[in-house]
Amino acid sequence: MPEKILTSEAGVSLAPWMEFRVEPLAEVGSLVAQGAPILRDRRRPECIVTAPIAGRVAELETGAGRRLTSLIVQAEGPCDRHQYDTRLALGELEGGSGTTALRQLLQSSGLWMRLRARPFGKVPEASTVPAAIVVMAVDTRPLAPDPRHAIGEENTARLNLGLRALSSLCDGPIFFCQDRGPDIPDAHGRLKIVRIGELHPEGLAGLQIHRLFPARLSRQVWDISMEDVVAIGQLLSEGRLPETQVVSVAGPGLREARLVRCPPGADLRELCYAFMSPGPRIILSGSVLDGRESRWLGFHDRQVTVLERREPTPRHWLDAALRRASRPEPVIATAAVEQALGGAMPGMALLRALSVGDDEAAVDLDVLSLVEEDLALVDYVTAASPRFSDLLRAALNRIEANA
Amino acid sequence: MIRGIWTRETVAMVFLAAVLPVAVSWIWDEGVLGTGRLVFVLVLAGLWQALFTFFRAQPPSAAGAVSAFAIAVLAPEVGPLQFAIGVSFGFVFGELVFGGWGRSVLSPAVVTIMFLGFGFPVADWPHLPVQIGWATIPAAAILLFFGVLPWRVLVGALVVLIAAGGFNFDLLTSAVAFVLVFLVCDPAVSASTPLGRWLYGALFGALTALFAAFWETAPVQIAVSAALLVSLAAPLLDEMAIALWQAVRRYRHG
Repeated sequence: MPEKILTSEAGVSLAPWMEFRVEPLAEVGSLVAQGAPILRDRRRPECIVTAPIAGRVAELETGAGRRLTSLIVQAEGPCDRHQYDTRLALGELEGGSGTTALRQLLQSSGLWMRLRARPFGKVPEASTVPAAIVVMAVDTRPLAPDPRHAIGEENTARLNLGLRALSSLCDGPIFFCQDRGPDIPDAHGRLKIVRIGELHPEGLAGLQIHRLFPARLSRQVWDISMEDVVAIGQLLSEGRLPETQVVSVAGPGLREARLVRCPPGADLRELCYAFMSPGPRIILSGSVLDGRESRWLGFHDRQVTVLERREPTPRHWLDAALRRASRPEPVIATAAVEQALGGAMPGMALLRALSVGDDEAAVDLDVLSLVEEDLALVDYVTAASPRFSDLLRAALNRIEANA
Repeated sequence: MIRGIWTRETVAMVFLAAVLPVAVSWIWDEGVLGTGRLVFVLVLAGLWQALFTFFRAQPPSAAGAVSAFAIAVLAPEVGPLQFAIGVSFGFVFGELVFGGWGRSVLSPAVVTIMFLGFGFPVADWPHLPVQIGWATIPAAAILLFFGVLPWRVLVGALVVLIAAGGFNFDLLTSAVAFVLVFLVCDPAVSASTPLGRWLYGALFGALTALFAAFWETAPVQIAVSAALLVSLAAPLLDEMAIALWQAVRRYRHG
C-alpha cells in the first residue's frame, strides 16, 4: 500500500494551457478547510480551484492578465474538510431528471476542472454535452504509478457511482480503458471496457480517443482519469473531496523510488529531499517526457520525476555559431518514430503537416483528438526542434480561432 | 528534459555503418581505381554540402557519404569532367536545393546516375560482382535491426521480384539488391505510410521485372531507372494510402 504523506505546505500550479484568470474566493491569511473553493476563473465561473489541504492561505499572487503566479496554503489548525451538499445531485441521479444540480456540484467542488475536452484540450464549457467520455485507468508514461493502486474495496463502489454520474452527463458511450487484468468497474449499458497494452504511448488518452471515438469540431470527447472518477463518487456519497491521491516519486536522482498518497499540489521538495542521492538535482512534476520543473505537484500530474541536473557543456564558439545559425534538421521516418505515435495514424504525414503549418491536412489526419502530451514521446525520440508538441498547440490555437 | 537519439544524423550514421561491409567487398574488387573514384565523389559532395552550409545555413549530413559511395559504385564510366558535372548536378538539384537529406524527394545518387546515363548513353555501365550482392545481406540486417530500413518496402519488393522471376532469384542480381537496400529503402525518400510502403516496394519490383523483360541492358541501369520512377511515385502512393485510411475512418467513425 502507498504510504500516506500530508505535506506541511501545498500550492496550486496550473498548466499554462488552462488559461486560468484568478478571482480569489479566500483572503490571504484566512483559514480554509480542505476542499473549500479558493479560486475562481474570472471569465469562466464554472472553473473553480479548491484548497489542497486545510490551513492558512499564506500567499496568493497573480501576474500579467491575472494569471496565477503562486498560491500557497500552510497546514494549520484542525484538519477541517469542507462539506458539500449533494442531496440535489444524488436525487437527480436516482430520478434520472436532468443534470443541472450534478453539473453545479461538480463545478463548485472543482472536480469539473479535472475534465478535459477534445478538440483543443481545455476544461469543457458548463453546459456542453460530450459525444463520448474516455476514462483512463492506465498510465503508461515512464515511472508512472499503476492506477490500480488507487482502487480498494471502498473505492470500487465510489468508482461505480462516479461512472454513473459521468454517464448521466453524456448520451454517448463511456469508454473505460484499463489493463489486461480483471474488470475494474461493473459494465453496464453504455459503459464499454477497453483493454489496452502496457507500452507507452498506449496509455495516452489522445491515442485511445483517436482509435475509439475521434473528436471533431462538432463533437467533443472528454477524458478523465480513473482516480478523478473515484473522487466524483466520493464527493457524491460523502460530500467531501478526497484528501490524497496516489503519486509515484521516482527517477535516477533518487536513492529509492516510492509510491505515496499525498495531497494534490503537495510540496515536491518535502516529498523528495529525504530520498535524494547527493549532487545537483532537478524535480519535475510529471513524467520525464512531458513534466515541468515545479515546486508543487501539477494539477493533472500523478508522478514526480527526479533527474540529475546537467549543466550544458560550453561549445567551441564556431560550433555554437554554426548550430545557432542552422535550420532545424528534418525528422526521418524510422521505426522509432512510427512506434512513438502508436502506429495508429499516418504519423509522418501528420508531423510534416504540423511542421509546415498545414492545419487543413492536420485536421484530416485527426489532429483534433490530440493534445501536447500525445506528441511528447515523438519529441523525446526524435529530439526535434522546434518541438512537435509546441507546433501542435500552435496549430490547435489557430484552428480554434478560425472555428 | 532529456532528449532521445533518433535525430537525422543518427539515422545517417546507421546507414554509414551498414555501408561498410559492402564498401569493403567493393574496394577489394575494384582496387586503387575504385578508391580514387570514391574519394573524388566524397570530396565533391563534401564541397557542395559545405557551400550550402555556409551560404544557406543548411546543416550537412553524413548521409551524403552513403550517396557518394552509391554513385562511385553505380555510375556509368565517363570522363572525370563529365563525372564531376553529373555528381554536382545530382547533389545540388537532387538534394541540396530542397533543403538537404530528409527534405528532398529524390536521392542524389539516383539523380546523378540517371543524369550520366541519359547524358552519355554510350558510356559503359559497371558490372557489379556477385559478392556485392551477398554483402548487402549484412547491410540490410544492420538497417533492419535498428529500424531504419522500412521493412515493408524490402518485403514488398522481394515478394514481387521473386514471384515475377518464376519463384527463383534470377531477377535479384547484385545491382538490384544494392539499389534496393541503399537507394529505394532510403527512409528519407521512400513512402512513409504502411500501405504506401508496401505499394512502393511492390512497384519497384514490378518495374524492375518489366524492364528486365523488355530491355536488353545492364542490370544497374534497369535497377536505377526503376528506383528513379518509383521515388517519383512515392508521394502519390502516400497520398493514395492516406485517402484510403481517411475513407475507412469515415466509414467506421462517421
